[in-house]
Amino acid sequence: MSTDIGPWNDAVAELDAIVASFDDGEVTVDDLTTKLQRATAIIEALETRLTATQISVEELLPRVAKGSSDA
Amino acid sequence: MSNGEQPQVFEVAQLYEGVTELLESGFGPRQPFWVRGEIVSLNDRTHAYIDIVDTAKVPERGGKLATLKGHCWKTKYEGLKRSLRDEGFTLAPGMVVNFFGHLDLYTPTGSLGFNILNVDVQSLMGDAAKRRELLLAALGAEGLLEKNKLLPFPTMPLKVGLVASKGTEGYNDFLNQLTGSGMAFLVTHVQTTVQGDAAPAEIVRAIRAVDDEDVDVIVVIRGGGSKGDLACFDDESVARTIAHSRHPVLTGIGHTGDTSIADLVAHQQFITPSALGTFLADTARTLYENRVTRPAEKLQRYATALLDEAANYTGERRRTVVLAVRDRLRSEQMNLTHVRGTLTSASKYLVESAGRSLTATRALLAAYDPQRRLAQGWAIVSAADGSIIRSVATVAAGETITVRVADGSFHTVVQER
Repeated sequence: MSTDIGPWNDAVAELDAIVASFDDGEVTVDDLTTKLQRATAIIEALETRLTATQISVEELLPRVAKGSSDA
Repeated sequence: MSNGEQPQVFEVAQLYEGVTELLESGFGPRQPFWVRGEIVSLNDRTHAYIDIVDTAKVPERGGKLATLKGHCWKTKYEGLKRSLRDEGFTLAPGMVVNFFGHLDLYTPTGSLGFNILNVDVQSLMGDAAKRRELLLAALGAEGLLEKNKLLPFPTMPLKVGLVASKGTEGYNDFLNQLTGSGMAFLVTHVQTTVQGDAAPAEIVRAIRAVDDEDVDVIVVIRGGGSKGDLACFDDESVARTIAHSRHPVLTGIGHTGDTSIADLVAHQQFITPSALGTFLADTARTLYENRVTRPAEKLQRYATALLDEAANYTGERRRTVVLAVRDRLRSEQMNLTHVRGTLTSASKYLVESAGRSLTATRALLAAYDPQRRLAQGWAIVSAADGSIIRSVATVAAGETITVRVADGSFHTVVQER
C-alpha cells in the first residue's frame, strides 16, 4: 500500500525535519516508533518513486543521447 | 481660210502623220521628258494604265482637270513596281508623281498617251520624308510620341503579346531568345502580315487584339527588308494604335539603321527582333535573380546557419540533460541512503541510550534497596500503627514495637528510654 507523501520536495522536507529532530535530540522514546515509521514510509515511497523515475529515464536517455551522437 | 482659200483636206493617216511630225518636232522623236501630275486612277492588272491630272492648275468653275492617259507596258512596269516597292512606295491614286516618258500617239484609237518609262523616286522620297515629318510633327503635337513611353514598364514582363507573322525569320529569332532564356514566358501571338497594302490594317487589328488580353508588354516585330517592305510601320494608323495602347509596346523592326514611325512612338525600340527577345530574356532573368534567386540563396544561408545553431544547441542540451538527470538521480539516491543511515544510527543510538539510562537508574535504585541494608544488619523499627520510628522521643516505655531484620521481623517491648 503506497503511502501518500505528496510532492517529492514536500516529502523530502518532512524527512529532513524528522532527521533534524533526531539530530537535535528532540525525539523521545514514545515518539521514536511513530517518527521512525513515518520516516521509513517516506523513504520507501521516495525510493519507489525514484526507481520508477529511473526506469523512465533509462528508457528516455538513449533517445536523448542518440540525437546528441547524431549531431 | 479666211481669205477664201479652200481648207486643206487630210486623210486620217496623213493627219496623224502630220501630228506626229509636229509632236516630234516639239518634243523630239520619242524623246522622253518629265511630266508631273497626280494619279487619279491606276489599273495594273496586266499593263499599267494610269490617269494623271494636273493639280497645279485648277480649272475654272465647271471646267475639267487636264488629264494625261499614261501607260506602262508590263515588262517595264514589273521592274518599276519592284524598285519602287524596295524604296517603300506603291503607286496609288492621290500620289503626285514625276513620270519620265514620251508622248505616244495611238492612231487606231486616235488617243494621245504617255508611255511611262520611269518614276522619279527621289521626288517620291522627298514627298515621303515630308509626309513623315508632317506625321511626326502631328503625333508630337498630340503627345503621342511620348504617350506609350509614359506607361510604367512591368517589373516582370513574362506575359508577352506578340504581333508578328508566324514562321518568319524575325518571329523565330524572337521566340528563340525567349525559349532559350529558361524563363516562363507566356506568349499570346496574334497573326498579322507585316508587308504590303493590307499590312497596316492587320497590324492595327493585331495590336488591339493583344492589347485586350492580359499581357505585360506588346511586342511588334518584323525581320529585315526593303524600305518598301517596312513601309507599313510608318503608317499613321499603326503609329496611333501603338501610342494609344494600354500596354507598353516594344518594337523590333527591320535591322540596324531602320527607324520607323512605329519605333518612334513605341515604349522602346530595338534594332532587331532578336535584340528585343534578348532584352526581355535578360530583363526577366535579371529580375528573377534579384527578386528570387539571390534572396532564396540568402534565405537558405540564413536557414542553414539557424538550423546548425539550433542543432548545436539541442545537441548540447541533450548532453546536459543526460548528465543532469543522472546526477540528480544519483544525488537523490545518495540522499535517501544517507537518510536511511542517519535514521538507523539515530534510532539505535536513541534506543541504546534509553536502555543505558534505565540500567544506570536500575543500579542506582538497587543501591537504595532496604533489603540490602537489612542484610547488612540494619533493622527497621515501626510503631504499633506501622509508622517508622525515627526518634527515641516518639516511643514510650512499655510500648510494643516491631523490629524488621533481613530475614523477618519480631516484636519487643520498650523497657525504658
